[in-house]
Amino acid sequence: MKTAIDWLFPPVRKRLLALLLGRPDARWHLRDIGRQTGLALGTVRRELAGLVQAEIVTAAKDGNRTYYQANRASPLFPELAGLMRKTAGLANCLREALLPLADKIKVAFLHGSQVGGGAAAASDVDVLVVGKATFAEVTSALSPYQERLGREINPTVYPKEEFRRKVAAGHHFLLTVLKEPKVFLVGDEDDLAEVAGPGSAEAP
Amino acid sequence: MTLQKWQAQGLLKPHKTSPKEIAELLAAADQDLADCETPGLSAGWRLNIAYNAALRCATAALAACGYRPAHSESHHWRTIQSLAHTLGLDAAVVRQLDGFRKKRNVSAYDRIGTVSDHEAAEMAALAKDLRMNVERWLREHHSDLL
Repeated sequence: MKTAIDWLFPPVRKRLLALLLGRPDARWHLRDIGRQTGLALGTVRRELAGLVQAEIVTAAKDGNRTYYQANRASPLFPELAGLMRKTAGLANCLREALLPLADKIKVAFLHGSQVGGGAAAASDVDVLVVGKATFAEVTSALSPYQERLGREINPTVYPKEEFRRKVAAGHHFLLTVLKEPKVFLVGDEDDLAEVAGPGSAEAP
Repeated sequence: MTLQKWQAQGLLKPHKTSPKEIAELLAAADQDLADCETPGLSAGWRLNIAYNAALRCATAALAACGYRPAHSESHHWRTIQSLAHTLGLDAAVVRQLDGFRKKRNVSAYDRIGTVSDHEAAEMAALAKDLRMNVERWLREHHSDLL
């Protein structure tokens, strides 16, 4: 099935934008980009030329190498980076990662600094999972993606009953997470309200 | 082979162990495993104690092979990874233990309360398995140390 982002961008552009805008503090050499995206260098070069012309990406010479980087000064940067973050970037990768555990997960989402948008390139990715899956299963599912994304992924896994009980008891971490912005990987806001139970509505 | 390589890189140091040291490490692991069942402890602290038990088991196995981790920032990581080369522990289990190592760091230093009871119980089960595993392995390969 095609997702929204697949309709909006051709596959090559999607992969380049996801990489460059997903890690805006990193600069990349052509070959790095080829390796990371699995695309042919000629294809990458052609696509980059367009993105540089559109000033979405900058190209900087350093010695005899050219480094490419997301252009934070572009007026489109915040929206485009947000779009990639929600779709082709991190979240999409992690959605794919959790797919084999779909039957065992009620709701899963990214929270913390990744979601606010002010995250540094190297910052960890916090994932909260509620369901029958174990920490071991979630860690195994996420670990190959950790390498691919070049980020540490920190999952916290709660069975539904424990999650609900701790929310009702006013557990600080969980109430904070419930209030924070999030990006859903499995389920949505309604599923979260359902698993959190009535305690979440009374959160101050 | 890997352990030798790590020693050459200065990540492990040669170490001469004794039946006494192995017995102390295993007894300490047993004590941790008992302590982590103490009623009323937070999930984070239970996870921490059970993780400690696992680390002692890994240290005992490493000592039996003639090594100890060099003091560095990554010595916990190294000790956990060594289980694949001492006990021949499955990569998935090593990964799982390493996941708990990270979780322990995050919950101790960054954010309080990121550990669920279920995760603490999982860590305890893992540590118990490892404790049995290491004893079985010592019996088979280093019976002189028991």
